[in-house]
Amino acid sequence: MTSFTPTRRTLLKTGTAVAALATFAPAVLCQARAEDADLTPYKSAKIDWQQTKGETITVAVIPASYFENLIALTPQFKELTGIDVRFEKIPPAQIRQKSVIDLTSKTGTYATHAADPMYYALYAANKWVEPLDTYLNDKSLTDTAWFNFEDIIPAWRSANGINGKLYGMPYDGEVTIQVYRKDLYDAKGLKPADTLEAYVANAAALNAPNDRVWGAALRGLAGAGQNMYIYPSIFREFGGDWMKGGKLTVNGPEAEAALTWYVDLMKKYAPTAAANWNWPDIADAFSQGTVASYIDAHSSASVINNPQKSKIIGKVAYARWPKGPSGKRTTSIWNWGFPINAALSEKKKKATWLFIQWAASAETQARTAHRFAGPTKRSGVNRTSIWKDPDYIKLMNGFGPNFVEATMDALQHDTDVDWRPRVPQWPAIGDTMATTIQSALSGQATVKAALDEAQRRIEPMMRG
Amino acid sequence: MTAKRLRTAIVLAISAVFLLAWAFPIIWSVLNSFKTDSDVLAYPPKLIFSPTLDAYRDVLFGSGSILPNLISSMIISVGTTVVTMLMAVPAAYALARLRFRGKKFAGFYVLTTQMLPPVGIIIPYFLVLRNIGWIDTYQGIILIYLSFSLPFAIWLLVSYFEDIPFEMEEAAFLDGASRLRTLWRIIIPQVRGGIAVTVVFVFLNAWNEFLFAVVLSGNTVRPVTVAMFNFVSVEQTLWAKLAAVSVLAMLPVVVLGVVAQKHIVKGLTVGAVKGGGRR
Repeated sequence: MTSFTPTRRTLLKTGTAVAALATFAPAVLCQARAEDADLTPYKSAKIDWQQTKGETITVAVIPASYFENLIALTPQFKELTGIDVRFEKIPPAQIRQKSVIDLTSKTGTYATHAADPMYYALYAANKWVEPLDTYLNDKSLTDTAWFNFEDIIPAWRSANGINGKLYGMPYDGEVTIQVYRKDLYDAKGLKPADTLEAYVANAAALNAPNDRVWGAALRGLAGAGQNMYIYPSIFREFGGDWMKGGKLTVNGPEAEAALTWYVDLMKKYAPTAAANWNWPDIADAFSQGTVASYIDAHSSASVINNPQKSKIIGKVAYARWPKGPSGKRTTSIWNWGFPINAALSEKKKKATWLFIQWAASAETQARTAHRFAGPTKRSGVNRTSIWKDPDYIKLMNGFGPNFVEATMDALQHDTDVDWRPRVPQWPAIGDTMATTIQSALSGQATVKAALDEAQRRIEPMMRG
Repeated sequence: MTAKRLRTAIVLAISAVFLLAWAFPIIWSVLNSFKTDSDVLAYPPKLIFSPTLDAYRDVLFGSGSILPNLISSMIISVGTTVVTMLMAVPAAYALARLRFRGKKFAGFYVLTTQMLPPVGIIIPYFLVLRNIGWIDTYQGIILIYLSFSLPFAIWLLVSYFEDIPFEMEEAAFLDGASRLRTLWRIIIPQVRGGIAVTVVFVFLNAWNEFLFAVVLSGNTVRPVTVAMFNFVSVEQTLWAKLAAVSVLAMLPVVVLGVVAQKHIVKGLTVGAVKGGGRR
């Protein structure tokens, strides 16, 4: 009888061999996936796609399926233009930090990056990125008729512009909408809320923590892209104005009313932990059937409809933001856009523009969305024409009743370019607002005290 | 007797609470790493479930394999530890034993480098590395890691060297041993425990570092702490995979800890038993 007793040495040897094998396996797979694709739709553009042949550009994106789909298509771009694109995937919080470091130091590391629309004011004030109008209007670089810039969602175009100049080309975006459990609403004869008041009433009617169902949930986590993504909508709906008499004001009576509404809803009808939730947590809870409604990005629909996780498939429906006391509905305006780094050489800038034009074109948008071969299809395409394409609508309607309608209404009617204060100091202001709002949500400070504190901290930033 | 038993019971109960608080995240990660995503989210949390290796298979051999990242982390951490120790041991010995001008200042200076907030120096580091073309290279990251691991290691080791009675060295000198030979033969074996502790801490710091890594690395050098974030995407958190990566990332450190433990315990007691010696 023999028994296998591995010595340290043999264990180490096997381990190394396994590790080495595994390192190279993905590379082999990737090569096998490169395929020939039809480039005719691109070649109908009357520009020379090959004019910067041989250039290499580095693009920073965040780890997300809508960028993965684009990365999967880059061999087609290389074939079309002769430009090599290196992608670097950086988590959302760090991509802002890292690109700002790159831009301040003028090192030109990233030719372009997935940019937060709230950062363009800062970028433009420092001339860190190029105005894109120059490239859009250059006949040798852009076939205006083919690219059809006007087709790109207007709200996103205006969100990425400062003083009428475009600084980032929208690639993928989202709007916030009401998501609710149709089965629960129907059982109580409720309708999706048309006003913020009705939203609270619905939440109250469905709130049953003893049965592990809470009435509603909104992002509470402190962060410029978390609670400061939800609160600005409420603030604007209550009639708030960030720039009162040219001075950034965050503690006016509308702000107090808005934050009170937010705090009350969260305290009374949301799970206690929601004060620290970001939207994946809300979507996870909703998909387990413990939350009756939430207001968040329309793109969360894919998570709550994921058959591997969700228990509530077929029970979800959608509606626009409820109206505030001012009669306004204000959704978020969010998109990841591509700017051009001003520190690049002229030739690299052109190559970068060709990449941006390719990525934002109707053809690539369709190829990365409903025509994408892989399992995840994008719900944040940048083209109005695609949102009208029956194939795309059919795919999106799979998420549940009224999804396309609510999203399109939000995109076309509920956006407001002054949703958040668009000033170069935003990064610091966003963080400050976020922490003070959370102090109110968690009950550490009263609404009034929290807002006054925010105002006190923001004023020196605006002077400096 | 009963009073004593009661006391023991209370002590045990309190220890159990602390132990649970410490162990819970680890147990939770390990359990989740063997679950499917729907089991992870199940309520009440399932203690009995059909375990699956899917998450491990995906993170090790799937399209976003983290194996290259584990290897990156290993190269960075081992590199940092080896270089740090080679420099820190002689430096700490010198600070503890030799008399030279500016010794006090040098000792204090080593500590001040620990006082700078990392966020404040990250941009200068980025620029320096960028200018010498070392962004996204192993030598670049290791160089930057040395800037905080070296002072830390020296500072930690000095106290161990100081604890060794000077008489031991004296005896060696009288027998005709050179200073280097004394250091190697007499002193180092005495501070084995201290060295083990330092190695573990330096390795751990390098292995777990995130802030510098995310800014100074790129596609070529990408430690596991940075790669792990791909499982917390803006779209959803892939809990099972995240747990699997966490467990895999914990393994080397746990192994190192177990191996070093013998020396660590010894290192902690050596000074206590002999006492004194500090001058």
